[in-house]
Amino acid sequence: MTSPGSAMDSLSAALKCNIIPNQEYLLQGSVLDQYVEVLLHRLRGLCDNVDSGPESFHDHELCFTLRATNSSGAPMVLPLRVRRALDVSDAPFQLRYVGQQELGDKNRPTVVRSSIDMACSSTIVDFLTELGCRLDFEYIARGPGEGVEPISQSYLVELSVLAPSGQDAIGEDMRVFAEQLRPLVQLEKIDYKRLGSMM
Amino acid sequence: MSYSVDISVEAPIENQIQEITYDGTEIYQPPLTISESLAKYAQKIDFSRVSDVDVKKEESNEDSKSDADSKDAFQSSLWPWDGVRNKLRSALQEVCVLADVLAIAKEKRYLVLDPVQQEPLETKPMVQIYARKKALAGNYICNSLTFLKLCIVGAANVLLAGAEKLKTSQNEAARNRTTMDFHIELLRLRQNWRLKKVSNTIIGDLSYRTAGSKYLQTGTFEVTKAEEEEKSSSPPSSPLPGGPAPVKPNSALRVSIPSELQGVAYIEVLCQKDQEDLCSANINLLGSGPPATNPDMHWQQKLEAAQNVLFCKELFNQLAKEAVQLQAPIPHMVVGNQIMATVLPGIQLIIGLCHSTTGDKKQQNPAPSKSDHDHVLEHSLHQLLREVHHKNTHIPFPHPATGPLGPSKKRMIAGPMAADRYELLEMTKTETLLEQIVKQAQHFIMRMRTEYVLDTIAKEIRDPLISSHWNTLNSPTQSCVKINISTHGYDAVCRTPLVIHVGEKSLKCICRDGKVMNMSYEPQELRDLIMCHINQHQILAVQALAKTMGWQALGNSNHLGTGSVEPLGNASSCLLSSPTGDRIIAVRCEPQAGTQVSVAHSPRSDFFPSRLVTERKWEHLGGQFRDVRLDKMEGRNFLHKMELLMASLTSNS
Repeated sequence: MTSPGSAMDSLSAALKCNIIPNQEYLLQGSVLDQYVEVLLHRLRGLCDNVDSGPESFHDHELCFTLRATNSSGAPMVLPLRVRRALDVSDAPFQLRYVGQQELGDKNRPTVVRSSIDMACSSTIVDFLTELGCRLDFEYIARGPGEGVEPISQSYLVELSVLAPSGQDAIGEDMRVFAEQLRPLVQLEKIDYKRLGSMM
Repeated sequence: MSYSVDISVEAPIENQIQEITYDGTEIYQPPLTISESLAKYAQKIDFSRVSDVDVKKEESNEDSKSDADSKDAFQSSLWPWDGVRNKLRSALQEVCVLADVLAIAKEKRYLVLDPVQQEPLETKPMVQIYARKKALAGNYICNSLTFLKLCIVGAANVLLAGAEKLKTSQNEAARNRTTMDFHIELLRLRQNWRLKKVSNTIIGDLSYRTAGSKYLQTGTFEVTKAEEEEKSSSPPSSPLPGGPAPVKPNSALRVSIPSELQGVAYIEVLCQKDQEDLCSANINLLGSGPPATNPDMHWQQKLEAAQNVLFCKELFNQLAKEAVQLQAPIPHMVVGNQIMATVLPGIQLIIGLCHSTTGDKKQQNPAPSKSDHDHVLEHSLHQLLREVHHKNTHIPFPHPATGPLGPSKKRMIAGPMAADRYELLEMTKTETLLEQIVKQAQHFIMRMRTEYVLDTIAKEIRDPLISSHWNTLNSPTQSCVKINISTHGYDAVCRTPLVIHVGEKSLKCICRDGKVMNMSYEPQELRDLIMCHINQHQILAVQALAKTMGWQALGNSNHLGTGSVEPLGNASSCLLSSPTGDRIIAVRCEPQAGTQVSVAHSPRSDFFPSRLVTERKWEHLGGQFRDVRLDKMEGRNFLHKMELLMASLTSNS
């Protein structure tokens, strides 16, 4: 019977060894509906799983926020996301915390932000509600295929890699891959602050 | 469009220079007199051809000239320059047209000039015709026209000459099909293998890296153009002995494979009984190599052979690493390029890597063990390694899509389902290649043993027939056989089914009554089990038969406690009584000794009242049992004999 103390020790040891993927490298772009087939064809040529083809997914994501005021009185907002797969019933829910975009050097090819996700059971929604989180919004992501209620006439294309912190070479590889898709879809890093100020 | 152009018509003023004196003065030729010049021009006229051209020219200029002609016809004699004027006018028209055409052609939007082969020959007479027509008017204008035409002609000639050269070179190449074009061969190579151009050289990759292999040895090869001299010198040094050397199409490219991948290799797997002398196994395996590699082999075969060598090396390397790391009850041995693992007590599995690089021609004596080597296990080894590769490339997709990529489905649920430390550790344990192949070899041996036991029993024992049906679907580590024990002719009366699951080191038998018996790898246990079942079958069959005959089963016992102790199992017996009750048959079945049948009469035939037993009624107690000599009886088998016995003992009263 191991005591909780040793579990914490192993967790901190794992963090120190830098094996837990807690950073997300992200590039985003969009492609019009009519060119999705061409993009899929291109991806099929570039990717390794030629025989199995693209995997479809149908997910439902709920975005919660937990508001609190810290000691100095400033309001703090903690965004949390719960995502579940609608097509695979026995897959666990994913609870995800996504941090702010890291303000590093401007030359970094991708968006880097801290991301922690963990699998949980379906009771997470009740748990968060009990904690005091409020449901901000929810959406359904589906691909490739028809959506339940399409918001726009284009598809969102995301290239994201979860890795332990410090592996910046991944950003370079992602940029090279994005170059291959260049005329069809421009994958680039989105500046969220400007996006926020536009609304 | 009409331009007004001033034309000055004059004879060239310049006279030809006859001589330049040393002080610089030029002495001109005296100009030709009129009669001389006329004669000169007249000589240029080809009277045989002028008439045709005149007709054409008149057709084209009909509209403009018809009036003029009619008007000027009677005036031609009065005005000697009239013809000249007309010809000048037509010349002007032609020049205007030509200027327009050239302007349009220069724009290249509506008209493009292309050289046509016949044209250069035609322009010359045209030049002559024009020269003739303008003879009287002077040569100046036509010279510029001819100059233009000559320039165009010259350009056309250059282009045509270039096209001719390309055409002839292509025709030559098409004719010499024996030497394939380097580029076409390169295209074919590229369709099958991964190629890359690095500075000046073409490098290829024949490793399994892109298919998921993590082996460190590189599989790069280089592609070069085959030299011309090699082709001519290859026939004398052809390695093929005797006979006419076959005309092989020499390919235009040559692949250079790294030295450690040259030759042919394969993995050999043997299952053999324990040998006292391990060295003999070594010699057998290493000596038997495949036939020599032909240096003139086509590049496709060379590359495939090299890829196979790399694959075999990776496989053997992986197995050797595991053999050293694993801790088996009897440790595995790695000697040179052989791995020896103990599968079952007394049976060893030998995996060897055979790699022959030298092209020696002498025929090796086929080793006696060569016929034994197990192709199925070799194929299994290849498949196992390919499965490892496949798992490395095909990672399960996470659902939902933002989940971490990599952990299996079990790992993903481990968190929410609160898996404990033990479960997590169990998830990390995977079976090594060597363990898997040892398990497959064990199962193979078990299956062979089971088959042998069943076949032997089926051959020995004819009385109940033993038929075995093996399932068509099985796995490399599990098979299933269904056994039926039945008597010939009495299949509907009684049948004993058995199901035996053959595992890796054990057998599981499910008996007729649902009992499960687990046996080890010793074949004797299976044999004993089947003998016991045969024994039980006989008793059950007799009882079932008695029911059909109308006889009554008075009692039976599967594990009889009377009589001598059986060396194997237990004896079983049953008592049957006839419909009228006047005969009793007792049957005793023993697994080793067979069956014994005895018969008794119910009212004793040999009853004599004695001092203890005085009354007559005691004769119904039943008499002595008398043995039946089954071997003297008629009947195909035991049940048949029993049937006849029962039939004969049934009385009609």
